[in-house]
Amino acid sequence: MADNLTINWKKLLTRILLYFSVAVICVIILYPYFVMACTALKTRAEIFDPNGAILPASPIWSNFVDIWTLAPMGKYLLNSVIVAGGSTIIAMLCGIPAAYALARMKFKGQTVFLGFIIVSQMFAPVVLLIGIYKVIKFLGMTNTLLGLIFINAAFNQAFTVWLLRGTFMSISAEMEQAATIDGCNRVQAMLRILLPVAAPGIVTTLIFIFINAWNEFTVALCLISTDTIKPLTVGINIFNGYNIIEWQYLFASSIVAIIPVVILFMSIEKNLTSGLTAGGVKG
Amino acid sequence: MKKIIAMLLAVMMLASLGTAAFAEDKVTVEVIAAQYGTKTADWWVGFEEKFEAANADIDLVVEVVSWNDINTVVDTRIANEQQPDLLNIDAYMKYYESDLLLPASDWCSEETYAKFYPAFLAESMDAEGTVWAVPDLASARALYVNTDILAEAKVEIPTTWAELRAACEAIKEACPDVYPWGVDMTTDEGQAAFAYYTWNNGGGFVNADREWALNSAENVEAMEFIMGLINDGLTNSDPANDTRYALQDLFAAGKLAMMIGPTQVEQYVADAGNKVNYESALIPANEGKANASMGVMDRIMCFAEEGRSEAELAAITKVVDAFYDDEPYAEWVLMENFIPATIPGGELCIEANPDMEKWVNLVAGAQFYPSIEGWDEVKFGVIDAQQQMLLGEDIQEVLDILQEEVAG
Amino acid sequence: MRKNKPRTLLDKTEPYLWILPSVILMAIFIIVPIGSVFQMAFSEVNKAGIIKGFAGFENFEKVLTSSKFALVLKNTAVWTVCVVVISTVLGFILALLLNNAFKGRKIARAIVVFPWATTLVIQASVWKFIINTDYGALNTLLKTFGIIEANINWIPTPAAYFAWEIACGIFVTIPFVCFTALSGLQSIDSSYYEAADIDGATYWQKLFKITIPLVKPSLTVATVLNIIYVFNSFPIIWTITKGDPASRTDTIVTYLYKLAFLNSKQGQAAAVSVIGFLILLACASVYMVSTLKKGDE
Repeated sequence: MADNLTINWKKLLTRILLYFSVAVICVIILYPYFVMACTALKTRAEIFDPNGAILPASPIWSNFVDIWTLAPMGKYLLNSVIVAGGSTIIAMLCGIPAAYALARMKFKGQTVFLGFIIVSQMFAPVVLLIGIYKVIKFLGMTNTLLGLIFINAAFNQAFTVWLLRGTFMSISAEMEQAATIDGCNRVQAMLRILLPVAAPGIVTTLIFIFINAWNEFTVALCLISTDTIKPLTVGINIFNGYNIIEWQYLFASSIVAIIPVVILFMSIEKNLTSGLTAGGVKG
Repeated sequence: MKKIIAMLLAVMMLASLGTAAFAEDKVTVEVIAAQYGTKTADWWVGFEEKFEAANADIDLVVEVVSWNDINTVVDTRIANEQQPDLLNIDAYMKYYESDLLLPASDWCSEETYAKFYPAFLAESMDAEGTVWAVPDLASARALYVNTDILAEAKVEIPTTWAELRAACEAIKEACPDVYPWGVDMTTDEGQAAFAYYTWNNGGGFVNADREWALNSAENVEAMEFIMGLINDGLTNSDPANDTRYALQDLFAAGKLAMMIGPTQVEQYVADAGNKVNYESALIPANEGKANASMGVMDRIMCFAEEGRSEAELAAITKVVDAFYDDEPYAEWVLMENFIPATIPGGELCIEANPDMEKWVNLVAGAQFYPSIEGWDEVKFGVIDAQQQMLLGEDIQEVLDILQEEVAG
Repeated sequence: MRKNKPRTLLDKTEPYLWILPSVILMAIFIIVPIGSVFQMAFSEVNKAGIIKGFAGFENFEKVLTSSKFALVLKNTAVWTVCVVVISTVLGFILALLLNNAFKGRKIARAIVVFPWATTLVIQASVWKFIINTDYGALNTLLKTFGIIEANINWIPTPAAYFAWEIACGIFVTIPFVCFTALSGLQSIDSSYYEAADIDGATYWQKLFKITIPLVKPSLTVATVLNIIYVFNSFPIIWTITKGDPASRTDTIVTYLYKLAFLNSKQGQAAAVSVIGFLILLACASVYMVSTLKKGDE
């Protein structure tokens, strides 16, 4: 009896400890966003008041309305969706076959290719700006979202290929082999058998690429010159003027920018965790 | 798979909609303009529309870029031979040194050229007297003081360094919550701090022969003065990271007693609800040295381009003429809250806002950053040198090293 | 099996067709730009960034003899090691917590995504806002709760600034590590733990004997990519201090950005990035030699 009681106490205590630590971590993570939201609802004067309070005296909800009239936020959002969505699709179209080949076939240069992918990541985009512009100019894609899509897709190949390779390797090849015997070719086997099973891994990769492309700033800044085709990260720079940085608008629009990503994440969250499983398994 | 391909096609179509389409029979003029404020971009859109309506044969493409990023954007384009036709930015030396610019006489009509204050044009002139860029607007720096704090500390507006130090000490004594003096030695604009103090001690970036003279005795003395104020805790806490904008916010909030700043300080105070009473005055100078006020000038320049036709050059001239058309130009300058660079523009601005007169006069007698080969390096070097001094390095030594790097 | 089957030409070329799109994509959009960085590093480049001729190792010489470079390398090492190590440890602990089933787990997980879903420039701006001495949110918060009386200067020295930047770097890196580790945790077969329970293993024994060894592989790739990304990270430091004062908070990337775009020395900037690349390559090849070989067998 006494033993059981201690065990229950112990269980309860760990439970409390768990909730407590998760709560503390969430508070810490949310704190910058709380600051952001409060700032977004203040007037400029209030933001820089050294004796100001944490919460806005009277929330200026109109800040969230103003950003839509001061800047073409709707267009920026749409552009960001196009770039992030397009990059994701192209990165997947190129990455899935490569990952499949690496997981299911043996060929000379496999190691070289895997190394090549890692090496391709070793320069920061900011370093490559001039060269990237050169390529994009040669392809006639300056000032287009398409150029941006290809760049983002390319810079996310390492992620995509490594993650999917791990996923595919963790899935037994037997079912595909069986399908091949039934007369499927390799492509059909991959599409019909492997990909559905690997769905969690694919979804995981999707969100990785989407978030990275959604947040990309430097390349978009240099490639896109027309205001109406700027993605959100570059577009909201309009609030970052020479004379004045309009913090309340900058933060209000940044909060708006987080929402689509969080919604996307919430909707696929259950896939994400099991998908990442395979991520680096055989890495 | 089909779905994915369909989506891909849709995305590609949407993306290609974003491509700027150029009509072939039109002459295109590309402009990159610096973003002064939230309204700048909108103003240029209006300008574009009006200009294209009046000139059906010209396609004007204006790209407005924030100051934070304009160097990155322009350099990336230039390295790929995609320079704009016209560029609106602060300094032109880098492009001049790289032989990328056309002299102003090639693309600026005589009529427009005659409008500029001659003293301004002289700031963009090489040794042979050729002008390589024209001013688009200017700003002057003055001393701003919070008169309430000064009254509380029972001090007058300082005119000399000794008075400035005494005032700072009195303020620190009377109002411990307030920073007496604002200093900005950041990568943003640290070169301005160097100018404020060295110019007001008879020193500066160059000597009388327009050669770099960064380690002159006057400069060392000036730096010793300001470092003295900083080390005695009479300034804002972090001069290496507090930009002028941060100082302007502190000033408008009544947390900073005195600072050197442009007219925009007034806008900051107004935005913050006019909580502080202030006056502007000349920047204090060392005893026995003349007061020097500082002017900052932005410019418009035209890039050379191989195979540019007569028609294209004429179109550029038309854009420049339209930009400096007196009334809209004056409206623009007033909107951005700067000082006009043309004589008729100045008259119109003063008419609309009599306060402007003192600024126009101030900037007319002001010193500007030198337009001499190597300016970018010097600017960068001076900021770094000041930050080293903030970290306690020896002032003379730091300036000696910098001078050797620049001159040697 | 393979040895028994004669291989046709198609069989031999097929894998290469599969990897072709990926190779083309990266070759065009990454390798060509990398090539132009190398070209620039060995060229004489004018102030506007236009190549004027071959310069040999001149740019490298200038960079390596610069008084700043050793400091910048040291900062980069401190930055990379601190951010990667601490975020990996904290991310792993967070993953252990979130691996438990509890009410509100979905929301907790969504919250952890926040730092990742925010553009770094904005993220860093908020941090700068929080730690500001005069109107910063941290001082306001502590004053409101009566913990402090007067404003505290949280950033009195360059080292303090750098520490805050590292903290911000850790903050934004944790979600990535956390979700990678979380997936690894979920793939562990519960029978291992059941067996350990029968043997009377303690929590810590299970953690070190079962959990960590089994999660390790999924964390390895993530860590290598992480090292590369953190090493090359730009926005956090640029937004908070721009590497100031006097390069005390510069890492390789902010340093070369200043060289290229504020100091008009594109050639030297390219040389710095090549040096950075070689350092990363050296570090990564240790990993690649050990791990990739295994995978290839």
